[in-house]
Amino acid sequence: MRSLSSVEDLAALRQRLAGRGERAIPTIVIPAGTCGRANGALDLVRAAKRELLARELVGRIGLRVTGCHGFCEMEPSVLVAPHGTFYPKVASEEMGRIIGAAAQDRVVTDLLFADGEGERIERQDDIPFFARQTRRLLGRNQEVDPTRIEDYLASGGYAALAAALAAGPEPVVAEVKASGLRGRGGAGFPTGAKWEMLARQPGRRGKFLVCNADEGDPGAYMDRSALEGNPHAILEGMLVGAVGTGANEGVIYVRDEYPLAIRHVSMAIRQARALGLLGERILGTDLSFDIEVVRGAGAFVCGEETALIRSIEGKVGEPRQRPPFPVQRGIDGKPTLINNVETWANIPLILEKGAAEFAAVGTQGNSGTKIFSLVGKVKRTGLVEVPMGATLGEIIHDIGGGPVGAAAVKAVQTGGPSGGCIPAARFDLPVDYDALTAAGSIMGSGGMIVMDAHTCMVDVARYFMGFLKQESCGKCFTCRKGTQRMHEILDDITRGEGSPEHLQLLEELALAVKDTTMCGLGQTAANPVLSTLRYFREEYLEHIRHGRCPAAVCKALVTYSINEACTGCGACRRACPGEAIRGASKERHVIDSARCTKCGMCVTVCQFGAVAVA
Amino acid sequence: MDTMRGDTIGADAPDVAAIAAAHRGSRAALIAILREVQAARGYLPEDALRAVARHTGRSLVDVYAVASFYHSFSLKPRGRHTVCACLGTACHVRGGQQVVEALSRELGVRAGETTPDGEFTLETANCLGACALGPVVVVDGRYFAKVNPGKVRRILSQARSGVAAPEAADGERALVTEAVCPECGRPLLDAARPIDGYPSLQVSAQCNGWRGRARISCVDGVLDGAPENAAALERVRLFCPHCSAGLNDLLRCGECGVPTVSVLAGDGALVQMCGCGEQRVRRAEVEGAGARREIAQLS
Ligand SMILES: Cc1cc2nc3c(=O)[nH]c(=O)nc-3n(C[C@H](O)[C@H](O)[C@H](O)COP(=O)(O)O)c2cc1C
Ligand code: FES
Ligand SMILES: [Zn+2]
Ligand SMILES: [Zn+2]
Repeated sequence: MRSLSSVEDLAALRQRLAGRGERAIPTIVIPAGTCGRANGALDLVRAAKRELLARELVGRIGLRVTGCHGFCEMEPSVLVAPHGTFYPKVASEEMGRIIGAAAQDRVVTDLLFADGEGERIERQDDIPFFARQTRRLLGRNQEVDPTRIEDYLASGGYAALAAALAAGPEPVVAEVKASGLRGRGGAGFPTGAKWEMLARQPGRRGKFLVCNADEGDPGAYMDRSALEGNPHAILEGMLVGAVGTGANEGVIYVRDEYPLAIRHVSMAIRQARALGLLGERILGTDLSFDIEVVRGAGAFVCGEETALIRSIEGKVGEPRQRPPFPVQRGIDGKPTLINNVETWANIPLILEKGAAEFAAVGTQGNSGTKIFSLVGKVKRTGLVEVPMGATLGEIIHDIGGGPVGAAAVKAVQTGGPSGGCIPAARFDLPVDYDALTAAGSIMGSGGMIVMDAHTCMVDVARYFMGFLKQESCGKCFTCRKGTQRMHEILDDITRGEGSPEHLQLLEELALAVKDTTMCGLGQTAANPVLSTLRYFREEYLEHIRHGRCPAAVCKALVTYSINEACTGCGACRRACPGEAIRGASKERHVIDSARCTKCGMCVTVCQFGAVAVA
Repeated sequence: MDTMRGDTIGADAPDVAAIAAAHRGSRAALIAILREVQAARGYLPEDALRAVARHTGRSLVDVYAVASFYHSFSLKPRGRHTVCACLGTACHVRGGQQVVEALSRELGVRAGETTPDGEFTLETANCLGACALGPVVVVDGRYFAKVNPGKVRRILSQARSGVAAPEAADGERALVTEAVCPECGRPLLDAARPIDGYPSLQVSAQCNGWRGRARISCVDGVLDGAPENAAALERVRLFCPHCSAGLNDLLRCGECGVPTVSVLAGDGALVQMCGCGEQRVRRAEVEGAGARREIAQLS
């Protein structure tokens, strides 16, 4: 493809690509993000290719390998577009039947999705997991092969850039402001206002736009899916940002743990450059803007703005005091605007739809949709996108299908290490920045880890404190020592060595760390402790007073035993690394608690659920 | 630290010099340089840190500070295989800790350590981005989902035998151990003329009126690589050297969109190779002056 020299060129190319008819033929769509690949999606891709060749269907049935569609638990899955037939957990051997049916406009009924005993559902859009979402961003992942800019263009890509170029800087910023979009990285700062600040900075030495793709919240992967599945949307968002703010350089800072995302974004940048959508005098206009990918190196604190800037400069990622804010002095001392991946991904939507229609979804002060990573102890796990202001209950029960097994859902953790746990009794809370903060958590970037009766809340608090202790950069004494001390106390409690005074000390420490630290890591470090103390104090007291872990998680407080369901098959006896299990064949086995290391091996190998942990 | 030693070894670090030179003038160069040096050497030994300091003009203290701050860098030698278990929140609530303990017990080392025989390095991560599938373990880039202590032994034995199968489930480089023409069934693999130490595929090639022989790295499955070299296979037609059947496929590479090359692997699997890769000549090398020039022009 030739480099495009004008906005008209771009429109003509888009029209030509859309008119090729590729989208009209039945197409086998296989999500193959990191999650899909982990589930064997690439084997399906190979099987599909082989079948298409063998049946001489090349050209009559299309094949599209895409990023994640969100229903990761059901991967490797197949979607037959444009009809929308959805096949979950497809075995490679079934690919032939699926392709054969698609060629004859039929459906393979026995491979369709069924919810438990429920009847089979043919179309993806009719499955509750999908039907109750508003998939403005995620829905686009299934339309494009992320490694082909042609796909993005054919589905209307880079039209927002053209619209922005036609409108000019002030109207672009005004539109983003009017949309009410708030930053999706956690703090919820109004995006338009931030852009306006950058636009007002003197730009003689140049200005930077940064896409924060550090996604440090453990348990969240919305940004990975966007980068892997639709990287051009992020490039386009940044290009619109460049038009609006006068920035001339861009950086996408991607965490090192996301190799596929790094690859797809790098490919997208090269393709955009080759088409003249990045670089000097883009589309023949005065706009010059280019983007570089910078890889992180595994440090949570680098997601914080000032640490991020240092890391981009190739230095140790320690935060610094603000002001000056990055918008005033950022990378190499130049004005720098930082937005989260999902924030950038929303920008093309605003320009395409217009601010009013964008804000028609969501609530007052919280416009648009938000993607959540719905994981942990929930029946249907994956990425879900809902209007801002949807309630926790709608997300966890209606979309997620509620608990996995018999154990009831107890709480949900939002906001990662800076957030907190919200009890099931408060699942009527709307998910927006303000309501969750009031409830003692934060919305954060979108991690939603569901916890049930088998999750110990003290252990969760201890887990987060261990995380923060490890990730504290150590610059502030109170953060470094405070997280360490809180972790020790929590560890003591989970070992049955806590006292009621410990709880008071925890609360005091938590407040001290909150008030005396410099960056967001320290300021919010106490949230996991304070929120669990607030809602689950009883669980703490149970550990302290009775040396009992109600969830049977804390190793020091549980014992393993074998109950009457045991058939004497010997699987646990053979698997036990401590040789702590004895028993004759076909007779109930017993665990020698003196030798038992509580490693959990017997629980995972027992097919009869005969190992009890209490 | 002994300066003499540092200096003499440092002078012998042409790999570091080359890496540093390639990054001259680039922002964040230090982190990128350290990453590449680690990829080349397996870890960051003292002499490499000294050489990096010298070639970047940063002080050794600076270089050491960066190398020790970021978790991705290792100052100790690493094993042939890396086993990384996720301890992110989603994996933690589903029993990730027990998986780490099981791995640790099987390997006889703690997280962050390498087995004495140099086979395995055990690591933990804060989240590997596949949270819906937790607990997750990644071995040499391959993801294992819903791991529990009972599955650990099998994962390790799979890691020991490596990814030799052409149908590597993770789509990382698929090594074709045996390859034949899909049309006539005769062998295409030539162990006598390796690329990157692996047997290469010998095929006939045609390009702008020129005809000759091409060699393709057999280490490359269809789904690895980057697109900048995509044009190579689009312009070069490849044929079976025995029966002259065309090997360029109508199907396009899922990763970069150019037509792929089909061969049959030993077990009957159809392997499709694509010209995409970091360095073109490594992937699809075409012999003969005319063709080489053609490819060189495309770079
Ligand atoms: C310790 C810490 C870690 C953070 N990690 C991330 C992150 O991984 N991704 C992200 O987008 N923002 C992260 N943030 C928030 C950023 O500092 C910043 O607010 C955000 O990138 C701004 O983008 P937004 O306005 O689009 O949300 C983090 C903040 C702190 C204090
Ligand atoms: S928490 Fe383990 S992959 Fe995200
Ligand atoms: Zn997925
Ligand atoms: Zn407990």
